[in-house]
Amino acid sequence: MWEQVKQALAQSTARFLTGFANFLPGLAAFIVALLISIVLGCIVAWVVRRLLVGMEFDQRLTRLGIPASAESSSMKSPALVVSRTIAALIIMVGFLIGLEAFGAEWTSLLAQTIFDYIPHVLGAALVLLVGGMVARFLARSVLIGAVNLNLHYARLLSVGVKWLVFVMAVAMALEHLKIAPGIVKLAFGILFGGIVFSLSLAVGLGSKDLITKSLERDTQKASAENVEEPFRHV
Amino acid sequence: MEVEPISQPAQEKIEQVENADLVVGVLAQLDQAGLASVCDSLRELPGSPRVAILRDDHAANPAPATSASDGNGSSPFVLPWPLLHSETPGTPVVNMSNAFRSVFSASEKLGARACCVIASQLETKTPQWYSRLAAPLLEENLDLVAPHYARRKFEGLLNSSIISPLLRCLYGKRIYNPMGPDLGISRRLFQKMLGMIRIARAGENRAHPLASLAPAALCDNLQVCELHLGARVYPPTDWTNISSLVAQVLGPIFLDMERNAPCWQRTRASVPVPTIGEPLFVSQDTGTVDITRMVESFQLGIRDLPEIWGLVLPPSTLFELRKLSRLSLDQFRMPDELWVRIVYDFALAHRLRTINRDHLLRAMTPLYLAWVASYAHDVESAGPAAMEQRLERLSVAYETDKSYLVSRWRWPDRFNP
Repeated sequence: MWEQVKQALAQSTARFLTGFANFLPGLAAFIVALLISIVLGCIVAWVVRRLLVGMEFDQRLTRLGIPASAESSSMKSPALVVSRTIAALIIMVGFLIGLEAFGAEWTSLLAQTIFDYIPHVLGAALVLLVGGMVARFLARSVLIGAVNLNLHYARLLSVGVKWLVFVMAVAMALEHLKIAPGIVKLAFGILFGGIVFSLSLAVGLGSKDLITKSLERDTQKASAENVEEPFRHV
Repeated sequence: MEVEPISQPAQEKIEQVENADLVVGVLAQLDQAGLASVCDSLRELPGSPRVAILRDDHAANPAPATSASDGNGSSPFVLPWPLLHSETPGTPVVNMSNAFRSVFSASEKLGARACCVIASQLETKTPQWYSRLAAPLLEENLDLVAPHYARRKFEGLLNSSIISPLLRCLYGKRIYNPMGPDLGISRRLFQKMLGMIRIARAGENRAHPLASLAPAALCDNLQVCELHLGARVYPPTDWTNISSLVAQVLGPIFLDMERNAPCWQRTRASVPVPTIGEPLFVSQDTGTVDITRMVESFQLGIRDLPEIWGLVLPPSTLFELRKLSRLSLDQFRMPDELWVRIVYDFALAHRLRTINRDHLLRAMTPLYLAWVASYAHDVESAGPAAMEQRLERLSVAYETDKSYLVSRWRWPDRFNP
């Protein structure tokens, strides 16, 4: 009896050690692949960043009318974002190659699934990036325009526009990622409508006094405009 | 390469006239009698030069082609010409710039020795000023005749607060209305402008036919003079469009600063330019003015635009602006030194593209209105002499603080007070 127990124990230990020994090369390959990809990612990111800085990528974006990068902190510089995205992609590829090294069926399937999903993630990231930029650009345009029109709810308008555009970008990104599309559509509709409704309420009820004062001021200004003003600018 | 494509009908008109010594672009809304007085005035030019008048064909009562010609070859030829593009309302400076370009192109085609642009109506009805604008170009070989309008204290404020003192400080010549718009230009200068436009079309730093005119003449040491004229009739202020106006005027000036940096960094003090005629004075209103709207706009800016101003202005300036925003209407005064630094910092931010340029220029509007409010307070009861002194103090402040601009321009990262 004891002999059988010993034999079973020895066999299970041998099986575990064999399995572990079989697993070790895969693990080593995974770690090596990951390390190489991290080093490669860092090098490529550094080179790309240097190149982008050299060709004044941030300034060129600004010239194209895309919100400036110079105004952002260095963490938000488009050149840095692009270089870090490339680094992340290389590390991701290294990670998937490492997973393949295990040779198991599930890891292969997982890697295949992730590879198939990468275009969606990239598309969604691009939509978010552009959406964020457009949201910020429009918010600033509205803010400056509203201040120049002496509107006392300029900031409210600006924030409203920013969130409207951003929520739309998030909904589009989620749609692209195919994450619960039905719920996303519904949630987007509710959220978008909610923002518009909140803005309307804020203008109509919440900021009633503010709006009333502002409109009164506008009316006074309109009547004042009928009186000839002496100021001529150009 | 053509600068301004000339349409077939326009080409035919040019062929009718063949050549001209002087081309006069009339942008002002003149009726037939007004146009006739322009023709009469130009007939008085010594030497009977051959004159072609380009009249905006969008004008209310366009004259038929060559209607004013009497066939003896000495009378001005009047050609209806597409000068102002009325399909782009709200862009007066852009329209004016296009009109200048059009006049330059036509002048080159006609081989003119000089061209003039008549864009204003003056309060004093002395039509002789048309010929006085052209005569120095033809007789004395001057290159640029700029107007020196008799000024009222609340008129031409963008010129008084920024354009004139800034260009005086940058290029070292005291020209009171460097952007005219009633200007006389020699062949040498308009050809230079056409050349700049041709070069700039390939790149992005576009030359502006109106804003670049005086800086181009001054940087090339061309002969510039001023002609004393009566008070100009200014269009009424459109308060809803003022930020657009600020952006349209200041954008080309800041671009020119970038283009001419090697020139203006060498210039130190300023000197007056020769003048023609005697200064004219006009009556000044001495009543109180309402500055509430402008101060409110500034206070709104302080409340809602600090993030944007913070990207452009140093902390010390922002601190001063916050202090200013807490002052009552009676005490509201913006020191000249503060205003000058604001203009310099915005010019620098424009060059560095700190934020989108259109946003930048529009975000300057509340600050400009704050200066106007402060200035209005200072001069509301002042006479002409006191007003001139006030504006001279501002110009001196620009010149005194030029070292700040030069330092920040050369070392924007290192020199940041």
